[in-house]
Amino acid sequence: MSFDVSLIIDSLPKMLRGLGLTLQLLFISSFIGLALAVVILLMRISGRWFLSAPAAVYIYVFRGTPILVQIFVIYYGLPQFELIRESIFWPILREPFGCCVVALSLNSGAYVSEILRGGVLGVEKGVLEAASAVGLSKRQRFIYITTPIAVRLAIPAYSNDTISMLKATALASTVTLLEVTGVARTIVAETFAPYEIFIAAAIIYVTLASMFQKGFGLFEKRMSRYVKDA
Amino acid sequence: MSEDGQQPIIVLEDVCKYFGDFQALKNINFQVQKGERIVVCGPSGSGKSTMIRCINRLEEHDSGKIIVNGHELTNDVKDIDAVRREVGMVFQSFNLFPHLKVIDNLMLAPKLVRKTSKAEARESAMRLLERVYIPDQADKYPSQLSGGQQQRVAIARALCMNPEVMLFDEPTSALDPEMISEVLDVMVELAEEGMTMVCVTHEMGFARSVANNIAFMDRGEIVETNPPNEFFNNPRNERTKLFLSQILSH
Amino acid sequence: MSELSGWWDDYFWGAMVVLRVFVVALVMSVVFGLIGSAMKLSKSRIAQRLASAYTVVFRGTPELLVLLIIYFGAAVTLTSIVQIADPNVKFVDIPPFWAGAFAIALIVGSYMTETFRGAFLGVDPGQLEAARALGISNFKTFIYVRIPQMWRLALPSFGNHMLSLMKDTALISVVGLEEIVFVAEMATSVTVKPFTMYIIVALIYLAITTVITLSVMALEKYANRHLQGSR
Repeated sequence: MSFDVSLIIDSLPKMLRGLGLTLQLLFISSFIGLALAVVILLMRISGRWFLSAPAAVYIYVFRGTPILVQIFVIYYGLPQFELIRESIFWPILREPFGCCVVALSLNSGAYVSEILRGGVLGVEKGVLEAASAVGLSKRQRFIYITTPIAVRLAIPAYSNDTISMLKATALASTVTLLEVTGVARTIVAETFAPYEIFIAAAIIYVTLASMFQKGFGLFEKRMSRYVKDA
Repeated sequence: MSEDGQQPIIVLEDVCKYFGDFQALKNINFQVQKGERIVVCGPSGSGKSTMIRCINRLEEHDSGKIIVNGHELTNDVKDIDAVRREVGMVFQSFNLFPHLKVIDNLMLAPKLVRKTSKAEARESAMRLLERVYIPDQADKYPSQLSGGQQQRVAIARALCMNPEVMLFDEPTSALDPEMISEVLDVMVELAEEGMTMVCVTHEMGFARSVANNIAFMDRGEIVETNPPNEFFNNPRNERTKLFLSQILSH
Repeated sequence: MSELSGWWDDYFWGAMVVLRVFVVALVMSVVFGLIGSAMKLSKSRIAQRLASAYTVVFRGTPELLVLLIIYFGAAVTLTSIVQIADPNVKFVDIPPFWAGAFAIALIVGSYMTETFRGAFLGVDPGQLEAARALGISNFKTFIYVRIPQMWRLALPSFGNHMLSLMKDTALISVVGLEEIVFVAEMATSVTVKPFTMYIIVALIYLAITTVITLSVMALEKYANRHLQGSR
């Protein structure tokens, strides 16, 4: 056996072609997931059981099952039903890309809503009392006090979640998508040089992950300018 | 606004409050006249904070009546908002909005609640910062100020809404000793300008020089209420005597 | 649900495989986490760097990719070693169970490293000074003061790592381990009821993760019993 560094260098450009798809999966799912998370969060803290209970069940189910299984249920499972095949969602659910986006978004929605809830619960009670005492309404307190503070508190966990999402996009390769991992797997099937090719792919992911972490770190620093010793 | 000078601005009638099985307030009867300055004192856990927090409904009382400036406190949101606009509150732990600069802490409520224009809100905020002697800190964040400065900002923030009454909940308890006087000075000036004040504090010097009446609370009851001279020199109740001997012995 | 008849056995044994991988990988990940945190806290620069590299790489690489590297990499390596002895051997099969457990343990171990390090540093140094002032030896301080508090601090994120570990086991089906996702694949090819078959997998995972969550909650309650009643 030999370790061929030139193979890494040769395969990197090929894999970078899969990077576009990886990033599409990541950004589209994160965006939909974030929107979903806000809705789920508002349902959870609404104080009305018929809103908070479904939200809690949704979070429980999606956090309690592997993403791979979720993807398989959606991609392989849903077409079992006539109803799905004839619905307006079929053009999305027929494609592996659509299925992955749906699964990743639903997953991210569940995790991110819990992260945001952590932020909301982290806002000091006294500060909210002070806001009531100067006459701010419940809605105004949420918009002007809770939200900005909760966002800052949530950034580190959200940063970690984005990296988890990046890693989860690799699962798309199991349903034939040629994102970075998918491309790597096809090259390995041709060259049978798993170390070189998979390590090259890993380099791409680790680089991306570090970039995201740096980016969020800067964002957090900016958001924390009002905190002592930040 | 009450036209009638005789009408008390705050009335508590038979107010009771429970936390689970624990009765924090037992049939409290209490009145504050316009322009009056009342100091509430008593051992910790005696219900002082709970009582003044009921006055602007940070706590809900379980029975009895609370009327502030003619509005009875019920679950009606309109009345609660009206009361909160007219009652300013200063907390033990300042509770400034950490994500807003000092000036924005002062401007937020006038802009949102009173719908004051930005320029106007800024102008009155600056005036109030001058009144508490920290106009130069306007563009800092609360965490960059000392405790004494933060509490003065908190007082200014409450004054921004032009309240009829100011409630102080142990405003100096969280401060280092050398910062207490700068906050008390501001409070004394406020009293001299005729502000109606209800102040929970253990600062007996302040009580002696500023209060019209001192209310002593113990175990959820108001044990006695008297003018300072009477209160310090001739306490009637045994519990008051005990409390005074403990607090004045050092 | 009649299409499920005949498959319950397979799901049961598949679930047993999942639990076995879980236990093996959990033990290994704790070992990796302890080694990693010890290296991070050590005074040696090299050890610190190595541990940092370990956490950065394994927290930044997709779980699936780590699994593929370990599984196929190990196969290639072992094949070439065996070929030295016997050039006729074409390919050595690696047991997916061990490759999978090892890969997952490496990943989760990198997260455990941070958790253990945080818990170690989280114990108030004042208490260690107090112990020293009372004349308690370093070793006894470690056993009686540090450890009891460390596990309380580490428990919440340790619970989360156990959940991720459990969910990561589903990946091993990709390299052919006969656990429940694999069973669902088989069953689907026979019955053509993919939704039913995969939903069963989801429910099995949900049941197991629920048990883990509830156990961690019970443990946390036990660990924090001395904090109760304080307001």
